[in-house]
Amino acid sequence: MVAEPARDGSVQELENKQEWWWVAEKKRSKRLDYLRKAVWKKGALGGNYAPGIKLDLECATLFTDMWNFWKYDPIMMRRAKAIAHVLDNKTIFITDHAQLVGYFGSLPHTIMWRVDGASMVNEEAYNEPGIMPEPEQESLEKVAKLNDYWAGQTAVDKVARILDPEDAVKFLSGAIGWGAPSSAYGYSGKDYEYLFAGKRGFEDIIEDIEAAIEKAEEKTVGVPGPEILDIYDRLQNWDAMILVLEAAMRHAKRYARLARTMAENFETDDKRKEELLRLARTCEQVPAKSPRNLQESFQYDHFVQMFARVEAHEGAWPARPDYYHGPYYDKDVNIDKTLTKEEALDLVGEFMIRAYEVGGFAPRWAREGLQGITGTWVWTLGGVNKDGTDACNDLTIAFLQAARLVRVSNPTFGFRWHPKVKDEVMRECFECIRHGLGYPSMRNDPLLVQNAMHWHGHPLEEARTWVHQACMSPCPTTKNGVQPMRMASATANCAKMVEYALHNGYDHVVGMQMGPQTGEASSFTDFEQLFQAWTTQMQWLTNLLVRTVNLGRYKDPEFFGRPFLSGISQRSVESGLDVVSPVGDRGNCWITAFTWVENIDSLAAVKKLVFDEKKYTMEQLITALKANWDGYEQMRLDFVNNAPKWGNDDDYVDDIMIRCLQATARHSHVMKCPSGNNWPILPENVSGNIHYASIVGALPNGRRCGDALYDGGISPGPGLDKKGPTAVLASCGKIDHIADGRAFLLNQRLSPTQLAGEKGYQLWKAYIRTWADLGLDHVQFNMVSDETLRAAQKDPEKYSEVIVRVAGYSAHFVDISRKTQDNIIQRTVQGI
Amino acid sequence: MKCTECSYEAGVSSFRYLYNARIDASMTLRQCPQCQAWLAVDELAGEARQRVTDGDAPWGKSAGIEGLARDVAR
Amino acid sequence: MSTCAECKSFFVREEEPGQGDCVRRVVDPRQAYYQSKPVREDSSSSGCESFQKK
Repeated sequence: MVAEPARDGSVQELENKQEWWWVAEKKRSKRLDYLRKAVWKKGALGGNYAPGIKLDLECATLFTDMWNFWKYDPIMMRRAKAIAHVLDNKTIFITDHAQLVGYFGSLPHTIMWRVDGASMVNEEAYNEPGIMPEPEQESLEKVAKLNDYWAGQTAVDKVARILDPEDAVKFLSGAIGWGAPSSAYGYSGKDYEYLFAGKRGFEDIIEDIEAAIEKAEEKTVGVPGPEILDIYDRLQNWDAMILVLEAAMRHAKRYARLARTMAENFETDDKRKEELLRLARTCEQVPAKSPRNLQESFQYDHFVQMFARVEAHEGAWPARPDYYHGPYYDKDVNIDKTLTKEEALDLVGEFMIRAYEVGGFAPRWAREGLQGITGTWVWTLGGVNKDGTDACNDLTIAFLQAARLVRVSNPTFGFRWHPKVKDEVMRECFECIRHGLGYPSMRNDPLLVQNAMHWHGHPLEEARTWVHQACMSPCPTTKNGVQPMRMASATANCAKMVEYALHNGYDHVVGMQMGPQTGEASSFTDFEQLFQAWTTQMQWLTNLLVRTVNLGRYKDPEFFGRPFLSGISQRSVESGLDVVSPVGDRGNCWITAFTWVENIDSLAAVKKLVFDEKKYTMEQLITALKANWDGYEQMRLDFVNNAPKWGNDDDYVDDIMIRCLQATARHSHVMKCPSGNNWPILPENVSGNIHYASIVGALPNGRRCGDALYDGGISPGPGLDKKGPTAVLASCGKIDHIADGRAFLLNQRLSPTQLAGEKGYQLWKAYIRTWADLGLDHVQFNMVSDETLRAAQKDPEKYSEVIVRVAGYSAHFVDISRKTQDNIIQRTVQGI
Repeated sequence: MKCTECSYEAGVSSFRYLYNARIDASMTLRQCPQCQAWLAVDELAGEARQRVTDGDAPWGKSAGIEGLARDVAR
Repeated sequence: MSTCAECKSFFVREEEPGQGDCVRRVVDPRQAYYQSKPVREDSSSSGCESFQKK
């Protein structure tokens, strides 16, 4: 039994006991302590919203009112006017002690509701217990009225109407994948090169747009011809962009006015008064003009993120804050000395807190799949400059230090490791991991830059700007590289590939013929027949998902429209096209491959026990699987314990992994995105392994329907990697991390006891060197002991700040479901 | 199989399957259809071993139910 | 009938005649903040629970 957390001990005592959450509380400033505790956590606990969290009806109502009023406008303009109405009229607030402002909901405890996204989500909002603002009856009536208005005319409704009916039924069955084929949900990359490297404020962008309009209008008064016809639509789009950018600037000025009102009428403390006046000056400067200092730079970035979220439900947060804000840190702290390191750390910590408090209403499947958080805010740190030199700077270090002080589970960091990263930066990364944050994840930068060039043809300099588009997938922040719409609606529940191969394409869980009929597996006489069936099912499943997403992407400018996102993207500013339009987008799609390794372990088990050793017949196996292994326990254990498992450096099974990946990679070059580019797979899971536990049937790897699936990516099954961490790395190193897929998630648990002190750091650093030498692109660590996790299960109140890495994201341990908690405890703790 | 809590008796599959303690062990969690208690079940023996609750010994590899099933004890 | 302009929470916008902000302090179970919402100075304040005459 672990000792009860000793929050009253000295910092040294707490550090010795590795009670990092209490260390953070003692070490951080009073301001950060207040702001961190002030956050209304929007991440669902397991799948349910915390008490006090309420649906934001104000923004949904304002948006709908104006959307309805401008019903005859083209969609971009109509949306721009509706967004402007929200920004001009929604309630805004400034929290005590805050130096950064901006929340997309109206009040700190509200979750934004994307009312125009999908009717089925709106119905869920109506039925979700506990989230209606008081008086509940009145709120329910408002929601019902809004739902009546939007029924049938949301973005997803419109896409669903034009999908092939069979595709629609199978996509919406929930069995083979998830997501929404619309930019109403998902995430968008931001053209940071245009905004930040280009030092543009919104006034500068409007000048760019006006110049483009002027040029276009020369054509519309010129010689008639087909080439000028689409310019009329573009002119409307440009006007919509200007309209929404102007509204965004007015919105920022509302904060400036509020800060001045507070300073001049309410605040009695001189220091706070000065802070409020500085905040007012900040919001008068950005986003209208480009930032002059670190505070303005953070504020600008945060505003951009908030405005994009008023426009669409964004479930990720692609960003590279040390790279784009670093020069301002350097100027303020090192050159002008207008900020001390401590003051800068306060700003960095608050910048993270402002992101942590963001949350929109999500349907239950999304909440179960992303337990404890509201989206995957994986911020990118480190990496290289465009010329290949080390991009780490003092702000990189400040972010890693601030993370240990604020201990938020969102945002987390992905660190772009490369051989030139200095030891002091590596130590900071390690300290975050040692403090149990589960982040940064380590990414192999040279390899991922090559990967981006291989799969999508990004030029070297652009590839070097990459950020995490969501949990894992790299994407450039450049004019033609930036990805405006989530393509992970092509999120595949890959365990279904082997399941369907074994059941002739029939899904016994949902009770319908899903995949093609690839033959009765009981009649298969050799492994090649099974592998061929698997390949056919893989191609069918990925084709269906990609078709759906491609169509959603292609029709999005017609069905949804992104005036704000277009207005901050160079290619739209220049072309007048909705940024979601595939024109000008090089293409950066990937299929998020959930539940991947089950295929490998299952195929290996069948090959070994049925076809090689002939211990069981296919008929016996299919009978046992249909019975969910009930009554076949000894046989099930045989399939688990006497068949080779991925992650043990065993070529028998590792070769099957490579075959499956290569077959999929070949198909990835065949499937094309709307820009004509490739669709590689990216194995990872978030907490989809729990969500799909009751949706995937029994498999030859020994799982029953109901069991959590493996924790994802290319991570071995929990407890099945029995030969130590080097064997895990050796197995993973057999994969070509450039040509076999877009990226590969690897979870590892390490022992906090073993990795204590300087010796621990040196061990970890050597491990990372091996990881890099073997050519892996990703690894992330949990370094919290079983004892602590188990104590947290027993006494969640006392361990409310324990953070774990779930998959591509981190969460507070007490916020995830019991099943997910248990799944994390099952993972092998590797001694290195 | 007999529920350790309410003594309800029926075939193993009548107890609702929840999930496994770990994939390579024969220990699972099932729920009694009568009293709704979560039970640690040895699938090989077809016997409920104990009730599973939050606290010191719910389940898992460090949970105190190792050794309850024959295959894990070996 | 009283109007928003007569309320302590009303702050006129110099640059936009007739427009103002209703600025109020709120203390919720987790944090304290000032909130602001646009109002017209001639809006009726009847029924407003937060109305406080200047």
